[in-house]
Amino acid sequence: MHSHSGTKAFVADDAALFGTDPVPAAPYHQPEYFALEREAIFRRTWLQIGHIAELAEPGSFIVRPIEVANASILIVHGPDGKIRAFHNVCTHRGTELVAEQGGKRSSFSCPYHMWTFGYDGRLRSAPDFERFYIDKSRCDLVQVAVEACAGLIFVNLDHSPAQSLREFLGPIARQLESLPVACATTFSEYVYEIDANWKLTYDNFQENYHLRFIHPRSGEAATGPENPFGYPVKFGFVGPHRTQTIWSNPAAAPKPLQGFAFGKLARFAMAEGFGNPAQNKEYFAIFPNFFLLGSATQPFSHVVMPISASRSRGVVRLYWGSADDTATRRFAREYAMATVRDIHAEDRAVIEAGQRGLSSGALRHIHFQSQEVLCRHLYHTVNEMVQSYIAGGGAPGQAA
Amino acid sequence: MEGWALSGAVSRATRRDLSSDAERADFYDAAMRVLPAALDHLDRKPLRELDASETRLMNLMLSLCHVALAVEMQRDDEAQHAQRRQYLRITRASSDCPC
Repeated sequence: MHSHSGTKAFVADDAALFGTDPVPAAPYHQPEYFALEREAIFRRTWLQIGHIAELAEPGSFIVRPIEVANASILIVHGPDGKIRAFHNVCTHRGTELVAEQGGKRSSFSCPYHMWTFGYDGRLRSAPDFERFYIDKSRCDLVQVAVEACAGLIFVNLDHSPAQSLREFLGPIARQLESLPVACATTFSEYVYEIDANWKLTYDNFQENYHLRFIHPRSGEAATGPENPFGYPVKFGFVGPHRTQTIWSNPAAAPKPLQGFAFGKLARFAMAEGFGNPAQNKEYFAIFPNFFLLGSATQPFSHVVMPISASRSRGVVRLYWGSADDTATRRFAREYAMATVRDIHAEDRAVIEAGQRGLSSGALRHIHFQSQEVLCRHLYHTVNEMVQSYIAGGGAPGQAA
Repeated sequence: MEGWALSGAVSRATRRDLSSDAERADFYDAAMRVLPAALDHLDRKPLRELDASETRLMNLMLSLCHVALAVEMQRDDEAQHAQRRQYLRITRASSDCPC
């Protein structure tokens, strides 16, 4: 498991510390490698899956699919105030227990034979149970490890996680707790599906080399004569996680409504105590598949959920500290969501084009330059875990 | 500004997708002229207390959020950009949540 030897921030010239060799292409398209990632990473790593704002009231629940693990997870806010997570699977004969994505309930009944479970996962009742050959106390829902940091809910499918969530996040945990997401009570969201490997998709959002070609208009403020590719000010590496400090062009003239809306958002952020310009530029890449931008004007998160070796789902959220209360706040938030969505819409097609090329098998290797060091770091982190899993006797579809 | 006072972020984003260049340009010019005054007026009371005509004005201004991105940012690329946006489904907006 990765240790956190402290955040090391450095310019890209030092990126060769992670090597300069070409990187194998197969991990970006081969089903066999994806099957190893499932076991080595996604069944034993903390995965970001929701936010406390979705479970504000006792009795509320959400259900989230984790396709890479063939799992559906039920997360419940009990009347005792505790958040619990379970496999969304009836312990009678394995039927998916809850079909809804969320709601509020005091119990969960399987539609097949009406086994009914409480908020704590205990089997409360089951028709004609006397005819079974097992004690009711052995039929509780299968619990999943769940912890939260900065309001963000993470689950870990390992029966006995090697690290707590805070150990896993290391010093990043405290940084996350100072961001707007930690105080969020609501959010805006858009979702996309993409015919591309999760790493290929994720990599697109942790390198700026493509900005001037793929976002020539929406990315105008992110590039400039002194930094034509919009490369970050610095990178940081914290165990398996990464950070970058975003550069923006101070001379860029905003478009009329862009200036108006972001001016309002900045004033709201200042009033809420989130005006720190340094914090606004921090972009966190939490292993394996979660991004969070520290900005209070566009406080978005982005999960790239693997579905298969060549298909993924992106979930983008903008977290807000309160419900819309005034017209100007509502207006500025709608603009912020539409702006990020416009930018992400420009990325999807080119990522899919990359997947088509890789899936053809034409390439044995791909290449990362020094400013794509975050992509290289992700590859190395993933591959280290996969190789460690294999060395421990693991194989695809088999717990090591 | 007929046809732009739409309830729901998805409806407003879709209206942008389906509009012509001329429609967007006309709406943008008209809405930008009244935006500051409209928001000042609407800000005088909590959102939940807006009456029908004020809600209509709010929805009109919210459509400007989407249209301005086409007019100011995408410009000639808007038709192609609309094709790409369709894959990003808005599933929740703060403007659609209770206030």
